[in-house]
Amino acid sequence: MEELKQEKRKTISRKKFIENVAIGGALFLFKGVGMVSLSFGKDGSYSMIIVEYEKCAGCRTCETVCSASNHPIRIAGKEYPGLGNPYLANIKVYSYNPDTFVPNVCQFCTDSPCVDACPSPINKKTGKKALSKDTVLGNIVYDPTVCMHCGNCARACKEKSAGVIIFDEVNRRPTGMCNLCGGDPQCVKYCPYGALHFVKGKIDKRRFYKMKPDKIAEILAKEWYKGKGGKVQ
Amino acid sequence: MKIKGYYGVFLDINLTAGKIEKIPVSENLIVNYLGGRGFGAKILYDNLKPGTDPYGEDNLLMFMTGPLSGFPVPSASRLTVITKSPHTSPVKKKYPHSSTLSYSSVGGFFAPEIKFAGYDGIIIRGKSPYPVYLYIKNDKVEIRDARKFWGMGTNEFDKKIKEEFDDKKFQVIYIGPSGENLVEYSSVLHTASRAAGRGGVGAVMGSKKLKAIAVRGTKMPPVSNHKDFVELLEKHRKIFKSSGQTLNWRLNGTAGALVSSSRRGSQAVKNYREGTFKEIDKIGAEAARKKYWVKNYACYTCMLACKKSGVITDGPYAGISHDGPEYETGTMLGANLLVSDLAGLLKEIFDADDYGVDAISIGNTIGFLMEAYEKGLIDIKFLDGIDLIWGNVDAILKMMKKIVHRDGVGELASHGVKFLSEKIGKGSSEFAIHVKGHELAAWNVHVSPRTGISYATSNRGACHLNGGSKRSQDRGALLDSLGICRFAFFGYRNDGIRNFINAITGIGYTEADFLKVGERIFNTEKMFNVREGFDIKDDVLPERFFKEPLSYGAGKGKVLTKEGFYRKLLHNYYIERGWDPKTSIPTKSKLKELEIS
Repeated sequence: MEELKQEKRKTISRKKFIENVAIGGALFLFKGVGMVSLSFGKDGSYSMIIVEYEKCAGCRTCETVCSASNHPIRIAGKEYPGLGNPYLANIKVYSYNPDTFVPNVCQFCTDSPCVDACPSPINKKTGKKALSKDTVLGNIVYDPTVCMHCGNCARACKEKSAGVIIFDEVNRRPTGMCNLCGGDPQCVKYCPYGALHFVKGKIDKRRFYKMKPDKIAEILAKEWYKGKGGKVQ
Repeated sequence: MKIKGYYGVFLDINLTAGKIEKIPVSENLIVNYLGGRGFGAKILYDNLKPGTDPYGEDNLLMFMTGPLSGFPVPSASRLTVITKSPHTSPVKKKYPHSSTLSYSSVGGFFAPEIKFAGYDGIIIRGKSPYPVYLYIKNDKVEIRDARKFWGMGTNEFDKKIKEEFDDKKFQVIYIGPSGENLVEYSSVLHTASRAAGRGGVGAVMGSKKLKAIAVRGTKMPPVSNHKDFVELLEKHRKIFKSSGQTLNWRLNGTAGALVSSSRRGSQAVKNYREGTFKEIDKIGAEAARKKYWVKNYACYTCMLACKKSGVITDGPYAGISHDGPEYETGTMLGANLLVSDLAGLLKEIFDADDYGVDAISIGNTIGFLMEAYEKGLIDIKFLDGIDLIWGNVDAILKMMKKIVHRDGVGELASHGVKFLSEKIGKGSSEFAIHVKGHELAAWNVHVSPRTGISYATSNRGACHLNGGSKRSQDRGALLDSLGICRFAFFGYRNDGIRNFINAITGIGYTEADFLKVGERIFNTEKMFNVREGFDIKDDVLPERFFKEPLSYGAGKGKVLTKEGFYRKLLHNYYIERGWDPKTSIPTKSKLKELEIS
């Protein structure tokens, strides 16, 4: 019974903690993510999703709510969340043996290799290329009207970051860019295990930044499933 | 199709001919049987000749989804594997191969992925001449050579098979050496730690030389009432989120029952001789959490995360990472064998899953051998030199290895306790703990006659999930057909599930219609067994539960009486079912009412 209360407390206190962090700049520690220093951009333009790998149970609810939110269905003029086909999700959970789960989502790279690699012309109305960084939230914005369908962005993401952007060969367009659901990321909201956090601010250093899921899983599995000398949780 | 939530397509693979077909699913089948276990029962009943050899080309091995599969409905992850069992048999054989059907369910991600690939289920028929695996990526289906994987343990295979694909999102289901070697109670594994464990579904897969099925899909079928569907999702996610039961599942999983069941005297201990294990605290959830558990993990869109992965950190098995103990694995390979060494128990569970053998049946079988050995009915020579005394982990591991390779005494034990007791004789059938040849699971019977009804009347032979009353059995058959996990029932109750089914399918079930589907499934299974020659003589519990009262613990002195069990409880059960209480066979009027012909 005591453990049950603790389980509950852990969840609540962590939520509070994130809220506090989000209010002011601070130095804080995510288990497994390591020390993270946080500061705000002047325009508040740095936001991101942080994964707390220890808590991820691999259920893929995030995939389904991401998909549902970004692929809504219109019925009688009203918009409803879609069915939640995980194939269409921008966040993808990769599962490993021994049980290690790595949700892979846009890294919100400070240098944006995908944007750099985009050779498209500028859209005269917006003044932006096919891929650009949103000025408010800092996420990657896609403009299909000027896209050259070359797939350079996906290759750049794969080479220089976590490989989140996938080039959809059928529709000839990049997929997987996180739009932060306009500032209310559904994956964070619905994660049953509190493993995802929406952080507003600028994170300079964080563990696993730009790292591919295979590599992250390899490191975590070594730390968690140590044959001798205890374990993480 | 008018009915939504399905594609109306089964993938039908004939391994003898190497033929791959898509066959239609009739609306009639959907409305009357819904999916999973229901589809399987009806298809077996309609297509298998009585007395079909479970290992023959004519047996069907089916992997069925339900109407909830693939939708992000919390805990709707279950796949049902259905086939004619190689492990069960009636008292009096009507055919040389008389056996029950079997259905075994597994969570994880496989059922949703079948749905994403565009199918309502997969039917395997025939037998391949050499080991193969099935590759399914949406419409692309191939029978691929698996010779290099044959003989591989499931843990290694789980890692190796992923290297075959350029897409990391393939979901795979497979057998281990046990299924390849046709050990009668072999399981089908998924993610190396989830098992469709019971009734020998893995052995049938082995007989077809089918090592694995790998599937990846990108689709979803539309639902009938989208608005209702999203509202229901929101509602039930909230219920799960705020429920104390959710936290309880996360904290302990099923392992929480190891201690609580033992305290109640309802645990299988020392081959079901006792109901309480004095050293249960050493292998319970708390001990496992303190010593070995690393993290909770969950099936597709499940908010409970009852699975616990861990790593052995000390002793000779240090470094082995696996899940468990769960209530069933921890009892059958732990308490039932008086194993109090938690690291040893975890190694046993790891081995059972790696071999791909049912932890329940193999634990039960080894318990039987231990008792026979202790009583001097068999000697160490019979056991090929293995000193199989209670609690001896090393001996248990050796015996498990012998069984899955069907080596020496292992060959005899690979057929289960019914076969062994007939071989050994000397009154050993009184403590051969099975019904219809299928070993009992981790819940003991002395303190709960209703559990006895569950075991005695279940259609796959002894089954703890069957339920001890008509209502719970019908509901169970229904749930097993929808793709929903039984552990999550608290978040839905009957209405919640039915609302989801109606929103998805548009069928518009009333509560009575809905439960009727469950009853129809249960009776169809029963009729399959009746046709094979099973009757009231087979709905019998081992003598132990009537003769030997528990000697200590909360259940001390408890024992069943034949008068109370057979002549009252079971008799009344048959009456309530509309079955002839003299034969246990469903009456004509009951079958007519359920539209079973």
